[in-house]
Amino acid sequence: MYFLSDVYYVCWREMKRFLSQKTRILMTVFQPLIWLVLMGNMMNGLTSNSMAAEMLGIDNYLSFMTPGIMIMTTLFSGVFGGISIIWDRRTGFLNKMLAAPISRAAIPLGKMIAIAIQSVFQIAVIAVIAALFGVKFVTGMTGILFMLVVIILFSFGMAGISLSLATVIKSHETLMAVVNFLTLPLMFTSATIFPKLAMPSWLKVIATWNPLTYAVEPVRTLTMKGWVWPQIIPGLALMLIFAAVMIAVSTRQFSKSIS
Amino acid sequence: MKPELGTRPNPIIIEVKELSKVFPGGITAVNKVSFSVYEGEIFGFLGPNGAGKSTTIAVLTTLLKPTGGQAFIAGFDTEKQADRVRSVLGYVSQDLAVDDSLTGRENLILQAGFYHIPRNEIQYRCDEVLKLVGLEEHAGRLVETYSGGMRKRLDIAAGLIHRPKILFLDEPTLGLDIQTRQQVWTYITGLREKYNMTIFLTTHYMEEADSLCNRIAIIDQGEIKTIDRPSKLKREVGEELVKIRFAGGEKNTAEEIEAALHAIRGLPTVKSIRPEHDSQVIVSSDGEALVPLIFEALQPLQVKINSVIVKKPTLDDVYLAFTGRNLRNETADKNQALQSMIRMRRIRS
Ligand SMILES: Nc1ncnc2c1ncn2[C@@H]1O[C@H](COP(=O)(O)OP(=O)(O)OP(=O)(O)O)[C@@H](O)[C@H]1O
Ligand SMILES: [Mg+2]
Repeated sequence: MYFLSDVYYVCWREMKRFLSQKTRILMTVFQPLIWLVLMGNMMNGLTSNSMAAEMLGIDNYLSFMTPGIMIMTTLFSGVFGGISIIWDRRTGFLNKMLAAPISRAAIPLGKMIAIAIQSVFQIAVIAVIAALFGVKFVTGMTGILFMLVVIILFSFGMAGISLSLATVIKSHETLMAVVNFLTLPLMFTSATIFPKLAMPSWLKVIATWNPLTYAVEPVRTLTMKGWVWPQIIPGLALMLIFAAVMIAVSTRQFSKSIS
Repeated sequence: MKPELGTRPNPIIIEVKELSKVFPGGITAVNKVSFSVYEGEIFGFLGPNGAGKSTTIAVLTTLLKPTGGQAFIAGFDTEKQADRVRSVLGYVSQDLAVDDSLTGRENLILQAGFYHIPRNEIQYRCDEVLKLVGLEEHAGRLVETYSGGMRKRLDIAAGLIHRPKILFLDEPTLGLDIQTRQQVWTYITGLREKYNMTIFLTTHYMEEADSLCNRIAIIDQGEIKTIDRPSKLKREVGEELVKIRFAGGEKNTAEEIEAALHAIRGLPTVKSIRPEHDSQVIVSSDGEALVPLIFEALQPLQVKINSVIVKKPTLDDVYLAFTGRNLRNETADKNQALQSMIRMRRIRS
């Protein structure tokens, strides 16, 4: 079976493309840096207020925010993954791949893996910068590795949504619009940036069911509290299901023959 | 330049039966097309923008499912045995589909990977095709820095990496300058000679179809109007023209010219005579043989002739005869226009 080799070559191409874009690499480093510096400075006043500190569950705002930034960064890389499909269709490269005897499912899977690798790289950068700013990851290296598992699953899921949409949406303006329409409300109604305790009750209900809250919960727990399994398992389980479903959906979309 | 095939017909390698493709919007791009291509042949699809050339290729290369009919490539059904079909054919689209952010060699490695060439053979295969298209020295450069002609050559090289039995070239010389176009022609005929490769190409350049193809099909609005050797088609269309320009003014009187035309009208092979600008156009079934006859007939009449031109039919005339139109140049819809814009930009940069 050539399936793994097909996935490898699709992924190899994406990585080569990523590495050839110096500005894109710089952006992936600077973006979280700006977030951390800006948020850290703006919001650090918050934690001098004891009530706010209680809501955040910690006296260092950055420790609360870092997992949020990790999830947000992963969300955006994933969700724009479909654009590469649209671009490949425009340039004819998609047809070139489809005319070759490669497995159709290898195309979304290879791209997903490449996106996940890029996210892992970004998360590592964020972790290092956060540590330099004084964030203490209470579960240490093992905890960070465990967070990466959650992040990879989340990345698969989000990229899967985007890649599946790209099999039916043929212009990137439309894809961007759809993706923004989905992600921004999703983000602001989740516990990614705001602590649930600080939310009005109606928002709290939404946030409780929001999948982003599930994604950020295990990461935040591992960063701030430790191995508190009851707060890790539900998020991890949901991410496993999310990733599995989106892999199935996107590979099916591609196997159904596209274009 | 163009190798003639032997008289014994080679085995059929592409067989197309009543093939149709109707797009979801209701556009019939290909309408019950049937033809066969023989092994080792260079077969051309000649037609204007929107004729259905690319759509036919897309169906033959398994990129689109037909809405009617069947196609067999090297004996394999394009719908039921798609993977077998894919591994015997090479496809070079009209889109210049090379990846700008990779180097030339990386593009080829990728292609080799897609065609399941064993890892230890990949470098050798890359070198082989790079040499074939003369890009060895530029293989390490990012494709971004390539000229349009180099990109096209790289794209063709990629299509050859798995040594396909059949090569599909969709408008291989679109947008290239004359020199590069001729280079591409040389590669194409070379492939046929060296590897006995069957080549299916589309074009809307007459000269290209004329000088490269063993046989051509003229396609217009999704239908094949005729299929034959270029020379035969031209002969069928038949009409050769002899243009005579008589000296004007005091050298020839109107009566003298009238008498001359009268004499010519009586000559064998002459079908009709009509004036065109300052000349007389004589339609004949054999223009070259007619010229000495004309001179013989006019000798006693003392008319002065400025020039004589014999014009043989071109594929343009064949095209005109079969479709009732000249090759037109219009893009069909917005998406197609955008695509060809991207394509042209990539070719020029
Ligand atoms: N995906 C599609 N959906 C709907 N219509 C299409 C699609 N692709 C092509 N068509 C239409 O089918 C017809 C044939 O298009 P095709 O691309 O096969 O022409 P062509 O002969 O290759 O033209 P060109 O010389 O411009 O490449 C055109 O009218 C085109 O608009
Ligand atoms: Mg075309």
